[in-house]
Order: sequence, then structure tokens, then C-alpha cells
Amino acid sequence: MGEKNIVVGIAEFKTARDPDLMVAYGLGSCVGVTLYDRLHKVGGMAHVMLPSSRLHSTVSIPGKYADTGIEALCSALIGEGSNSKFLEAKLVGGANMFVSIIQQAVPIGTRNLSAVREKLREKGIPIKGEDVGGIHGRTMFFNLSDGKVEIRKLNQPNNVI
Amino acid sequence: METGQFTEFQMDALREIGNVGAGNAATALSQMVGRRVDMSVTKVMVLPADAIAKFLGGIEKNVAAVHMPVYGEMLGIALIFFPLERLPELSAMLIGQKEEDPANLSELGQSAIKELGSILTGAYLSALFRFIHIQLIHGVPGLVIDMAQAILDTVLVELEQREEVAIVIETEFLEDDKQLTGSFFLLPEAGSLKKFFEAFSKALGIPSDG
Repeated sequence: MGEKNIVVGIAEFKTARDPDLMVAYGLGSCVGVTLYDRLHKVGGMAHVMLPSSRLHSTVSIPGKYADTGIEALCSALIGEGSNSKFLEAKLVGGANMFVSIIQQAVPIGTRNLSAVREKLREKGIPIKGEDVGGIHGRTMFFNLSDGKVEIRKLNQPNNVI
Repeated sequence: METGQFTEFQMDALREIGNVGAGNAATALSQMVGRRVDMSVTKVMVLPADAIAKFLGGIEKNVAAVHMPVYGEMLGIALIFFPLERLPELSAMLIGQKEEDPANLSELGQSAIKELGSILTGAYLSALFRFIHIQLIHGVPGLVIDMAQAILDTVLVELEQREEVAIVIETEFLEDDKQLTGSFFLLPEAGSLKKFFEAFSKALGIPSDG
């Protein structure tokens, strides 16, 4: 069984284990949330698009929203043999690349980040690292062997959290 | 998505809209730069969102995009993509001043590129009105230089859509021997897409249930 490269697309969430690598390409205002269980070397990623499912009557794609996406990812990880008390989170993305399309008091990238943090607090999951905000997009690689996340950005050296 | 695929007939109509739009834009652009600029439509297509980045050269390809909101009888976002490495030539054509670093354009260079995006969008939107009688206007343009997928990701979030379809018109500009391209993308929000296809079918005199 070799390592796999698992791509997590927009509004998706997936789980994986050591020695897999998970990737989310081109995060703009979306937020990539990784949850990692060091003990069992299992983890997952959610590619969150919007802050809250509450304004929507039906949620057919749980991974689309911060609240339902993190909830669904936690459940999936528990199904993989983890326990929420072993989980730690890392956040990537939530940039505000466009300032002028739709005028909002708080830009969507920032709102996504707040919603993700609030949900993690509610679940009691600590945030161990962040590469968030700013005006540029990011690609992230999540290494399931050690929980490290590597971030690529335009014209900037890679960052590892 | 219930819109299905465009038929060959509809694609021909879209190509015609593109040609009229490119003609209008060439006139406006020639006036702006004071020299003759020719434009032609090289490709017209309807692309699902997940194929857009590939079309632009790859998900992590760095591109320049002029983006603006589209309002009126339909809501959406218009994007004009330019290959990043050609920005210096584009700005030279527009303002007679070559930029050194395409990722860090001067303020004048940036406004010129935004203006070009705005001219193209205006020309295509009025061509759309002429053919399918949907009145559309665009808002203030912004310029973003980043990974193709990150730009798209942000647009999809703005539209609150995960699966989106874009109407794409690729245009080639010719000034003397210089050949430059820009790709116009119109991404209607979900409810508007249906309206767009209906108007399209109505204007072409074909049933809209297909």
C-alpha cells in the first residue's frame, strides 16, 4: 500500500491516513481546514466555501459550509477510529482577493475564517497553525505522516505550518 | 445542471455574438489607443467551472484577471483573463509604456488593463443585448493577479456556487504584428443561468425545454 495524493475539491471533505498526502489547489476566499490525530496518524481536510448553513433550508453538500463541513469531517474521523479529543486543526486560505465585486461590511474570506474558528471552539479542537488572510490565493499540501501543512503562494517562498 | 449542453446551433449564435462584440471592442480600443487594433474571436465555448483553470493553462498557472459584477436582467460576474507574461506588451499597446514586472504593474499599467477588460466586457454585453435582448451592465472593474484556481475559487464563493458554467469567448487582438489574447468569461449566478438559456432559446426561436 503506497502513499496516495488525495485532492480535496471545493466544498468537499475527505479523510486519509499516514502516509497519504492531501492537496487543495487554489484556495481563494475558501478555507482549507485540516484535522489531524497524531496518535492514530489519521486526519482529514474540508475545503469550506461559505460560513454558515443556517441561511439555507436544505444542506445537500455539507462540505460547503464551515459549520456542517467541520461537523461532517469530525464524524468521518471518529468513524476512522479517531476521537475528537485527539484532533488538532490547521487553517489555510480565507484571503480577500477581490475587493470590489460584492460590497460587504466584512469580506467573505474573513467571515469564513471566523465561522471555522467558532465551530472549532465549539468542538473543543485546538488550532495549531494558520496561514490565512491577505490578498493572495494558496495551494496547500497536508502530510498525513506528521500533520504538517505546506503552503504555496504566488511569488513567495513556501511556508510550512 | 439542467441547462444541458449548448447545441451546435446555439454555439454558432454565441460565436456571432462574440464576433459582433469583438468588432465593437476593436473600434473602442482603436479610438482609445489612437491606432488601428483588429480583434477576432478564436474560440467560443461553454465550460463547466472545473474545466476553466485547465483552459487557462493549469490550476496553479499565474494569470491576470479583470473582474467585474454584472447586473441587470441577470446577475453574474464577468472575468477577462490575460496571460501574465503578456501583460507588459498589453500595457505597451495601451499606454505606450512597457512594464518591467508583470506581477507588479505600475498604477497606470493597472488602470489600462482594467480599462481594456471593461471595454471588452461592455462590448460583449451590448452584443448579447442585441441578439438575445437581455439588458446587462457591468460594475467597476478590479484587477487580480494570482493562481487561476484561486481566482475561480473566489468567484464561485461570490456566486455561492460550487458547480458553475461559464460562457467563454476567447479574443485575439492584433496590433501590427503583435498578437495578444484575452478570454472573456461570463459566469451567471444559478438562477440567472436558466434565464440566460431561456432568453437565448427564445431569441433563436427554439423551444427552451431542451
